[in-house]
Amino acid sequence: MSGYRWLRAGLVLVALAAVSACATKVERLDESKAVDLSGGWNDTDSRLVSQEMIQDSLSRPWLQEFRGRSGQSRPAVIVGEVRNLSHEHINTNTFTLDLERALINSGKVDFVATKDERKGIRDERKDQDLNARQDTRNAMGKELGADFMLTGTINTIVDPNGNEQLLFYQVNMTLISLSDNRKVWVGQKDIRKLVTRSKMRF
Amino acid sequence: MSADGAAAGLRWPCAAACLAALAGCATFSDTIQSTERSLAQQQPKAALAAYEKLKPNPADRVLYLMNTGMLERMSGDYDASTQTLEQTKRQIEDLRALSLREQALSVTVNDATKSFVGEDYERVMVNNFLALNYLERGQLDAARVEALQVDILLREKQQRTAKNNPYAEDAFSRYLTGIIYEDEGEWSDAMIAYRKAYEAYNRQLKSFGVGMPETLKHDLIRLADRMGIADEAKRYREEFKIDQTLSEADLLERGEIIFIVNAGLAPVKRERSVTAPNPATGRIIRVAVPEYRPRAHAFAYALLSADAASAKTSRVENVEAIAMKTLDSEIAGITARAIARAVAKDTLAAAAASSGSNNSSGAALLGLAVNLAGVFTERADTRSWFTLPGDIHLARMPLPPGEYKLKIDLHGADERVLGSREVKISLRKGEKKYLSQHWIPTNLEVRP
Repeated sequence: MSGYRWLRAGLVLVALAAVSACATKVERLDESKAVDLSGGWNDTDSRLVSQEMIQDSLSRPWLQEFRGRSGQSRPAVIVGEVRNLSHEHINTNTFTLDLERALINSGKVDFVATKDERKGIRDERKDQDLNARQDTRNAMGKELGADFMLTGTINTIVDPNGNEQLLFYQVNMTLISLSDNRKVWVGQKDIRKLVTRSKMRF
Repeated sequence: MSADGAAAGLRWPCAAACLAALAGCATFSDTIQSTERSLAQQQPKAALAAYEKLKPNPADRVLYLMNTGMLERMSGDYDASTQTLEQTKRQIEDLRALSLREQALSVTVNDATKSFVGEDYERVMVNNFLALNYLERGQLDAARVEALQVDILLREKQQRTAKNNPYAEDAFSRYLTGIIYEDEGEWSDAMIAYRKAYEAYNRQLKSFGVGMPETLKHDLIRLADRMGIADEAKRYREEFKIDQTLSEADLLERGEIIFIVNAGLAPVKRERSVTAPNPATGRIIRVAVPEYRPRAHAFAYALLSADAASAKTSRVENVEAIAMKTLDSEIAGITARAIARAVAKDTLAAAAASSGSNNSSGAALLGLAVNLAGVFTERADTRSWFTLPGDIHLARMPLPPGEYKLKIDLHGADERVLGSREVKISLRKGEKKYLSQHWIPTNLEVRP
């Protein structure tokens, strides 16, 4: 009889183990910790790019030059298109937003809403014209024109060979003066990776 | 009657019954009838619903995604199709590594136990249709990503395969890639891609029966002129006997419609098997290998007309021929594996029958059971991306900017009109609009 009891206890243990193995497991990660799963573009790459771009853009002389030339204290910048010319579908918003935030928070630069955002805001203003109280209305035609436009590209070179792949990403960001098409700042970040694929799986 | 005799007496009727039962055992291609029937009835949404009801086993995941992605596309749901096909690519990537477990199963059970990753041409087609999805949704840069990926895929493939393999290049991929680069204004990349397409069409003419598309001839001359490669342009002009063609500058003053017909369905794999009792041992031996059945269709070309202008499609890819040639090149290996498997299974059955010397009738029954299990599990791997088109046709039609009612007539080989429709389309200067259509015959051969 005691053998039977042992068997039952054992079965319960096995069942418990099986159930706990099935539960979804979530592990919170420190956002600065690099985790590479597939070898493709991921958050670490995006973060490396924004760090480099932010440091570089704030330490370059274009800001002082602008102040000296125009007499204005802060240049207004608009984010243009960052074109993905790489071999992967990459979301470029992540590092442009990082860069935008860092520049705004530095207090040295103003950002102007993008094309799509502007449309929504204009609609809202139109709505205010009709429905808002006189003293709280915001009039049309008082928008801040941008002095610079931020554009960029992501390029890749891939060299595949059997189970190995050499990936080279180059992210370029350019600030172009809207008044005279001058490029006042070019930031660049290169990332190289060697991805070795597993030869075996279960 | 001794016990031994009884077992021997049981053996033949039992074997006969099992042979009859085998016909009921389903391979992959048997499970897709209702999907095919709905496609023949021109109801892609019903086909998708029928297909989504199938519960794929884990080894068929990639195949399931490929077919779902294509059926979503046929139903007009491009965004869902894009998502599904992107997932397909990731799954294929995950399955690149060799699985010893699956290798062992394929040697002992059958080839269909291996995870399906698709043939080279099927993997290339995932990128091609993703590119088309993006183009039709107006996402040119995303289509360019697919163009780069297909280039990497084909480069890897060339490292692996022999030079004389007829499918060393995918001519349509190269052509489509060229169109994407040209749309991006990247002339040198477009020129290189068109040139690769030109070489591929020349090389593959004999194997796949697809000649140089009429539009590609003009594209080559236009791009060579644009790049200022005078001698190459002259060579093309002489080879194709074309004097006049639209210059790149003139083309950019106009809009352009790029129209693609995905005609028919790719061939399906069926099982071809030999099941025979071995008179010497009384055991049954079975060898099953796949073979392609082409699915003929009547589509020959489409005629586009808008105002006074018109354009005719030319065939740019013969998926059917590529699929069949691919299987041809592999069938020797597949057959060798099937025979080795039959031998291994038979040896196992013999060992089981002679096990346990004291109880011979039990051993005989065990031997019979092992033999039958081996026979039952011997199925050909008939998995293939059956919703791919049989062939692909393409037309390019430059038009001055404006609003158009585009008339599309589909013609059969005997000039019969198979169908026609009208599309309202507006073109801006320099804009390229991509349109595609799937055409599936109503008399599609569906297995009962």
